[in-house]
Parts: sequence; C-alpha cells; structure tokens
Amino acid sequence: MSESFLKELPYLIEQQLITEETAKAIQLHYSSKKKPQTNSLFAIFGVLGAILVGLGIILILAHNWDNFSRSIKTIIAFVPLLIGQGLVAFSFFKKKSVAWKEASGVFLFFAVGASISLVSQIYNISGDLASFLLTWIVLCVPLIYIMRSHAVTILHLVFCTWYACLSGYFTKEFEAFWYFPLLALAIPFYWKQLKEKPRGNLTSIYNWLFPLSLLISLPILIYSDVQISIALYILLFGCYYNIGKLSFFEHKKLRQNGYLILGSLGTVFILMITSFRWFWEETFTGFLIPKEVVGLISFLLVTLFVLWYNYSKSRLAANNIFQYLFIIYLCIWALSSASPSFATLLLNILVFGLGITAIQLGVKRMHFGILNYGLLIIAILIICRFFDTNLGFAIRGLLFVLVGAGFFAANYIMLKKQKESQQ
Amino acid sequence: MKTIHITGILILMIVAQWFVPASMIYNQEHAISDGSIYKFKTQPIDPTDPFRGKYITLTFDINSYQTTDTLWKGREKGFAYFTKDENGYAVLEELTPEKINSELDYVEVKIRYVSKNKVRFNLPFNVYYMEESKAYDAEVAHRDAQRDTVNTTYAVVHIKDDVAVLTDVKINDISIKDYVENNKIIEESND
Repeated sequence: MSESFLKELPYLIEQQLITEETAKAIQLHYSSKKKPQTNSLFAIFGVLGAILVGLGIILILAHNWDNFSRSIKTIIAFVPLLIGQGLVAFSFFKKKSVAWKEASGVFLFFAVGASISLVSQIYNISGDLASFLLTWIVLCVPLIYIMRSHAVTILHLVFCTWYACLSGYFTKEFEAFWYFPLLALAIPFYWKQLKEKPRGNLTSIYNWLFPLSLLISLPILIYSDVQISIALYILLFGCYYNIGKLSFFEHKKLRQNGYLILGSLGTVFILMITSFRWFWEETFTGFLIPKEVVGLISFLLVTLFVLWYNYSKSRLAANNIFQYLFIIYLCIWALSSASPSFATLLLNILVFGLGITAIQLGVKRMHFGILNYGLLIIAILIICRFFDTNLGFAIRGLLFVLVGAGFFAANYIMLKKQKESQQ
Repeated sequence: MKTIHITGILILMIVAQWFVPASMIYNQEHAISDGSIYKFKTQPIDPTDPFRGKYITLTFDINSYQTTDTLWKGREKGFAYFTKDENGYAVLEELTPEKINSELDYVEVKIRYVSKNKVRFNLPFNVYYMEESKAYDAEVAHRDAQRDTVNTTYAVVHIKDDVAVLTDVKINDISIKDYVENNKIIEESND
C-alpha cells in the first residue's frame, strides 16, 4: 500500500495539497519502515532453512548406517548438537540479529531431537514416541527465553500438542498431564508479547495457537464418557469466550481474537449437537475416573474465575448470553439424566436465545457479520429440527420460508439504518 | 531477566542437552559390559518410526505368566525375574507386581492384560533398529526361517540392574544384519 501511496506524492504536490517538505517526510517515514520488513523476511527464510537442515539431519541419521561402529555412531550423535549449541552461543554472546537467533534456535531444537533419537537407535531403546517427545521438549524449553525465538515457541506449542495427542487421548493415566506444565512454560513469553506488542502479527498468531493447542489436547482429561467430554468442552469454550471479552482484546480486530471466535463457534457447535434428543437418551454416563474429576473441577474454577474477573471489571453484559451460557448449560446437563426430553427442550430454547443475542449484538454494533451469525444459528437450529421432529412438511416448509425472509428483512433493515446514520 | 541469568540458563541447557544422551549411553554401555547375556526366542516384523528410522518389532515367546494372584488387577507394570537354561536361553522364573529381594536378573515389563489365570506382558526391549534397506528383508528372512522348524531366531539381551540392552537379533547364531546381507549376495548370484 505504501508503494502505491508514494507514487501519488508528486500528484499531491502538483495539486498543492501537500508541501514538498511533507512529501519528503512521508518518504522518509516509509523508507525507515522498510528495513524491519527485509529483516523479518530474512528471519523467515533463516528459520525455514534451519527446519529443513534439521529435519534432513534427522532423516540421514534415521537411515541407521550399518557400516559405522557403535562408538563412531555415538560420536556422530553429538556432532549436530555441538554445532547447534555453538551457533546458539555465538548468536547470544555476539548479540546477533533476530534472523540469526531464530535460525540457530530452530537448528538446535532439531539437533537435540537428532541426538536423542540416534542414541535410542544405537542402543535399541524401545521407549515410545511420546516419552521421546517429552524429553526433547523439556531439553529445548530454555531456548524460548534465551533466544526469544518465536519459531522455537511455535515448535514448542506444536510438539506439546503432539505429545498430548500421543500420550493421553482417552486413557486412564495421568501421564499426559505433563502437557499442562509444558504449555505453562511458554506462557510468560506469550504474556510479554501481549504486553509489548499487542497488535503484532505474531501475537495474533499466538492468540490462536494457544487456545487451539488446548482445544486439541483436551481429550487427555477424558477417558470414555461422551457427556463428560461435552461438559469439559462447554467449560473450555465458556472460558475462551470470557478471555476474549477481557479489556485487553477490546480494540483488536475480530480475527486477532482467537479466544472469542473459538469460544463462540465452539459453544454453538456443542449446543447444536446436544440439541438432539437421542444425544441425551443414548449416550451413556458411566463412572467418573479421577482425572475426569480433576479436569472438571479445575476447568470449572478457572472459567468461573475469568467470568468473575470480567464481572469485577464491569465487562459482563447481562444481555450477552454467550458469557455465562456455560452455567445454564451445566444446570441443564445435570438435569438431563432425570428428564432427557425436558433437557432437550431447554437446550433448543437456549440455542434460539443465543441466535437472538447475536442478532441484537449485530444490530447494536451495526455489524453485518454478527447479525448474520445470529440468523445462521437460528437457521441451523431449524435445519436440525427438520430431521428429528414430527412436524408436517407444510409447517417445516413455512418455517424455512420465514427464516429465509428473516435473513432478507434483517439485512435490509440494517442496511437502511446504516445509510440513515451515515447521512 | 539480566544477561547473567540468561547466560546461566544457557549453560544449564547445554549441560542438560549433553547429560541426557550421555547418561543414556552410560547406562546402556554399563549393562553391555557388566550385564549377564540372555537369549530370548523371538519373531520380528518391520514398522517405521518418523525420527529413529526403520526397526523391527520383536514378539517374544516369553510373553505371559501363569498366576491366580488377585494382586494383578489394574496393574500396568510388573517385574520379570530370569534364569538361563544350558543353552543360554532366558527362562522366566517369576513375575511380581512389585520389586522383590532376589539375586536373579530382572526387567520391568508392561502389563498388556490380565485374564483368569494368566498375566500377559511386553518385554521392554522389543525394538531393534536396522539399516533402512535391510529392515524389510530382515522380516522376510525371518518369516522364511520360521517355516523351517530347525531355524531358531533369538534376541541377545544384556541385563544389569534394571537396564536391559538389546544388542543383536540372530537367526541360527548369525546376526540378522549379516544374514540379510548373505541372502542378498546369494540371490544376486542366482539372478
């Protein structure tokens, strides 16, 4: 955009809209901005190069060269590690550029993996992939803070999530709980980014990656019970939505607020699948195992704390059901074993209320996206009921026509209102 | 954080990154040099690990223990105690849920499941890494060898304290690496 704007400068001077001094000042401003762009591009290619070289070394070592003796192989196992550590120490003590720090950090990350895997290979150590990943992640955590490396932080998040998926999906053991301290170890770095560069692109990426990692890893708290999964996920999404409502995210673009989007979409998704009667009648609630109890209580406490924090800062809007929906939902959830039909009815009313809330919010903020999101919630609810109610075709058809007309009418009225306010 | 603190963390990290693989090597080498050597009769197959490359998975003849003990319910690990027969093959003497005071060599095993009077388990040294090009041939060679009942395939395992190191897999006393190599040479000369 700055390029095209700079081309316009001579025309603006000619039209006497700006002086030559102003034009020079603008040019200087944009040329000073260009420098970090080149640097970041260099850093990106540096990181990509380091990832490729690191992975290449792992693959070369994975060939398992029979011609080398055990002692030669053992020495080879330490060579990438030594090079990586040398590069990291050089970047650190010589205070090299961001590109150097990012690339050397990533290289050492993979060198550590290569080194442990080669030792495991030489001695046929049969430990599973999850425990191998755990050792690897723990040995590389300090790199996040020493190099202040975004690439290593992202790798850390990806590997933590991978570890969680491998070690603890739907098991009884607590072993995968290592995931939580591992994730927590990256939070101070994230917090610093949030404070220092709240509008930075990488901060926005973290605003998505952190909640996504936890979302994917949540089954480590679940053994087999579908209804426990639902309760945990509704708490998680409630927590995300309320985090997204913190003053911190207030003046940010919606796409930078992964918490709010994931919280809202996730809540609607859970509500939709549980608005079917069969769900409450056919999913079995078995016995809770200890890790499910720990998960439920901790998530309930955290979510209630975030809700209370929003309330104490006057950021809890009574007309925004999304914020406190998890409490209503959990009440219905507790009620469901006594009366599945009543629970289903209440849930349908709740989804409808949610749709209306979104429409109201959209109208209030003159935001077409939110308005149509609300209408979409109601439309999907009606489509779901199309499949499991005994209503006649004529009535169902009429409902669809009404919702379709509602879409047109709501958008038309809003457009008109927007034009009036612009005039 | 001050530079001196970060320097401290950097040094600690470098030490830890050397310490972990080095201690792995030390434990294994200690078991190889000082441990008792056992032969475990086995049947290999060949999967792949994304980081550590091609390997063959071994399933051992010793994989269960007769017991009516109710202590095994819900257990995930146990301790297998061994002696050797006159040919050096491992003989399972006892499987216990907790470590016991015994002179016998032992390894920690993963319990697969417990049925009425049997505990099924996996021995911890069931992975043998091979050169990429040889892993599949090793599986085929072993399968062929199994058809002929005269052949014996076994794993050579060094056991010392609670460390067990698998150093070789042999078919008729020939290392599987050499066995595959020899077979290739014979096949090529026949072609």
